Parts: sequence; C-alpha cells; structure tokens
Amino acid sequence: MSQAPIYRIQNLVHQYHSSTVLEIDELTIPKHTIVGLAGPNGSGKTTLLKMLAFIEKPSKGLIWFDENKAEPFSSKVRFQVTYLPQVPYLMKRTVIDNITYGLKIRKDPGDHRQKCFEALSMVGLSGEEFADRKWFELSGGEAQRVALAARLILKPRVLLLDEPTANVDENSSRMIRRASLLAREKWNTTVLIASHDLDWLMNICDDMIYLFQGQLSGRGKYNILFGPFYQDAEGVWWKQIGTGQRFMISRPPLKNSAAVILSSDMHIFSQTDSTFPESNTVRGMLTNLRIEKSRSKVIATILVDGFQFIADLSEEQKQNSNFYPGKEVLLSFNPNNIKWQ
Amino acid sequence: MEYIIAGFFQAIQLIISGDNQTWSAVSASIRVTTYSMMASLLIGIPSGFILGYFNFPGKRKLRLAVDTLLALPTVFIGLVVYAFLTRKGPLGEFGLLFTLSGIAIGQTILALPVVIALCATAVEAMDRNLRITLISLGANRRQLFITSLWEVRFGIIAAALNAYGRVMTEVGISMMVGGNIKWHTRTITTAIALETGKGMFATGIALGLILLLISFIVNVSLSLLRKKN
Repeated sequence: MSQAPIYRIQNLVHQYHSSTVLEIDELTIPKHTIVGLAGPNGSGKTTLLKMLAFIEKPSKGLIWFDENKAEPFSSKVRFQVTYLPQVPYLMKRTVIDNITYGLKIRKDPGDHRQKCFEALSMVGLSGEEFADRKWFELSGGEAQRVALAARLILKPRVLLLDEPTANVDENSSRMIRRASLLAREKWNTTVLIASHDLDWLMNICDDMIYLFQGQLSGRGKYNILFGPFYQDAEGVWWKQIGTGQRFMISRPPLKNSAAVILSSDMHIFSQTDSTFPESNTVRGMLTNLRIEKSRSKVIATILVDGFQFIADLSEEQKQNSNFYPGKEVLLSFNPNNIKWQ
Repeated sequence: MEYIIAGFFQAIQLIISGDNQTWSAVSASIRVTTYSMMASLLIGIPSGFILGYFNFPGKRKLRLAVDTLLALPTVFIGLVVYAFLTRKGPLGEFGLLFTLSGIAIGQTILALPVVIALCATAVEAMDRNLRITLISLGANRRQLFITSLWEVRFGIIAAALNAYGRVMTEVGISMMVGGNIKWHTRTITTAIALETGKGMFATGIALGLILLLISFIVNVSLSLLRKKN
C-alpha cells in the first residue's frame, strides 16, 4: 500500500484583487521527496509555496497536510512546515537570536547555543565567528545562509525554498544546496524548491512540477516550452529562444498550452557532425553531463540564450569524448514529438 | 541683557539650593507627564499597530483624521477637557478639574494622535517579509504581534519621544484644566509663564533649564537603550 502524500491540494484558486494568480485542481506531494518547482516569472511558484507554507489562505479550495485539512496558524502545521523566501528577512537582533527564535516559540528545552552552532555548521558558517554578530554585520549570502539555518534548526517535516540561490555568491549557493539535501538525509524532510536553475533541480529532485500562468502545466523531468508562441506568414508555428534563435513547433492546441519534449526526443550534435538535421536546429553550449540514477543514461544540459534544455546522449555519443561541458553543440527535435499540456 | 545673565546664575543657585516652589513644579510635571505618557502609549501603540498593519474599510479616512489631530491646539484640548470636567459637565461628578489627573487626561488626548500616527508609519514601513518569516518559523498570532512590535521598536521610541516632547512643553492644557494652583497643579511650563509675568526671570530660567535637563536625560537614556539593542 502506497504511503499517503504529505500534501494534497484540491480545487485551489487564489486571487489578488479579483485576478486569479493560481488555479490548481489536484496536486499531491509524496512524503520524503525532493520536488522542484519550475516556470517563468509570474507563473505562481511563490504563491504556491506560500499556500503550502500556510502563510496565506487560498481564496478557494483545500490543502490537506498529512491527511488533515489545514490553514494558516493551524496547530497541525505550525511547527511542521517552514518556508524560506527568496529575499530573507533577519530580525533586528543577533544571528543566534534569529536562529533560535523558532526553538523559543516551541519552548525547546535543549542547549540553544549548541543547536545554533550545529545549524550554522550545516550552512557552512562558523558558530564561533557568526553566532554573536548583529543582523547588519552579514553579507547577502551570509544572511541567506543564516535564514536557512533558522529553518534547519527546527528539523522541519517540510522545507519550502523559494529561489534559495538566486541572489547569493557561488560559495553561499553551494552551501545552501548542500544544506537543502542534508535536511532530507538527516530528518527525511520533504523539500520543495522553486528555482530557475533547472540544471540543479534536475540533478537533485525526485520529481518536477511545472507552472505556467498560475496553472499546472506538467509534471516530470523533461523539457518544457512555455508560450508565447507565434505563427509566421506561412502558417508555421515557432517558439523564440532568447533573442535570435527559434524552434519550430507543432500547432499549440490552446493559447496557454505548454510544449513538453522528452529528453529522449531532444538530440544534440557536434558542429562537425555531418548527420545533424538542417531544420529546427539551435546553437547552444553544453553545460553539464550527469548520469540518471534510475535509468543509467547520460543526460546533457544545454544552455541556449539563457534557456536550459536536457537531452539524452545516444549510445554512440556516450562512447566518444566529443561532448564535454563548455563545448558548443547543436540542438534539435522533431516538432511532431511535442506533447502538449 | 544683564538681568538675563543675572537670572541665569540665580537659577543655578535655585536649583542647587533645592528651592521648594521650583521642585514642586518639577515634581508635578514629571508625575503628570508620566500618567499621560503611560496612557497614551498603552492605547496608542496597539492602535497605531492596527492602523499600520491591517487593511480595513475606512482605513484611509481614519488615518487622515489621526493626522489632522496631530495639529490639535493645546488650548482647544484644554477647553474641551475643561467643559467635560467642570462641575456641570458630563464628567463633573468625578471632581477631576484642577487636579493632576485632569491635566493628564488632556495631555493624553494631545499625545495620542502623535503615538498612533508615528507608530502606524513605523509599522507601515516594516518589511512585509517579517510576517512571512515569523509565520514560517511557527509564530502564532500573539507572537506575531509582539515580535513585529519589537522589530519596529526604534520607530515606537521615536513616537514616544515626540509625544513626550509635546506633553512636557504644553502650557494650554495645564493652565486651563489644572488652574496653575501653587503646590498642587503648578507644572514647569505654567510656572514659567507665571514667573515671567511677574518679572521673576531667575525662577523662570531655572525651570526652563530643568525642563531642558529632563529632556536631555530622557533622550540620552533612550539613545543608550537603542545602542544596547
């Protein structure tokens, strides 16, 4: 018998000033998983995370947490779920007071200083050096790590992260990524991460949720192209990628449909490869190669004018050493393989 | 000019020698401003928080009314409070006219809009991520309110200082509601007005210096408190 999900959303609608920003009929999040949340700006990722963190109440619909109906300030969720906003807020007090605030609320009887040091160590900061600093004595990256430590110290059942690495330096970004994974390793925490860094999400997440214009547009690990799409004078449909390049697509069934292309349907070619198709090809840079845990395949991440795509390497491509991060490659797919959602 | 300088030195002497009349006025001022500040902060801080934090119908109009009351003339407050507290007024039976409590009521009315308006401004300027952060760390509604207030404490201190400055230096309410009764309701400001009218500059200057000193002590204490935090 499968385990009950930690979250179940039913007929959720959220509106700001009578404009609908989120509309999800049904969504479940399994326990102990890491789930990525992707979508363009304004797609509703932050709103969804706030709903799941029970910070805001949806205009309509229900959110079930661990099979219980839950809403903001409900005792069933208050100490279970924690959320880290994109721009962290540190209270006007010392680092240790910020980090142990949640413990004080919970009337935790333990050694708070010791716990604070452990939490700081999880995010790569020294307790001796940082615990007694004031809130204004931290850089942006350090503040984000302290804010994450304030969540990790609570050993939450659910950790919701909103673009945790968007505004921080490389070192802080690495530490935040590591700490996010530690939470699941140590306490079996369910982690939801909204990020534009698809490469990272694809690497660490068990599952991906795609949002577009406030609606679920897909679920799973694959390429997804959101609108706007346009039709040229000859009636051919296109998706502009970045500033100049474009992909030919099949006709979108609806204005706000999203095009799903499986990584197995996306092909990469070396520029010297004589077999690459001449149509529907864009130029990009291979940024990462990783092995898919479950299916023993090698997946390449390709960056095209700021857009990230994933493509499986063929058996032949896996054997030769022609593909490595930093190499310019050509990317192509057959528009007929698009699955519209 | 000489009589002013002479008055200044006499004032120092009066303060050092512990002149009874001078210290009676000082004591009355400190007591009455303490009452009025306590009342205005107790009512004003939660009201200012509600006005700044929540959105409700009529909020803008209420804010406009509070801002308008910032310019309330002290003599007008004195007149209204007098009318209520006088024997034939609606609150006449309590016998508060010409008492320190009566002055404190008037000064509370004076300080309240200052505390409410400045607290509301401080709360409005509060980072909206604070609420998100506190809820996500597990705060309930009461903890959310208390911690949010603590986060805007510097704004509240500024509001309190501003209000304190107004009540400490007002004359109209103390004169009209208190009646400037020697040894009883004579405050520093009403005493200065009276002594100056009588040509007793030394006493007036002494009281003025004490007023400045009190103000200085309050400001320095709060500044130290702020540094400590």
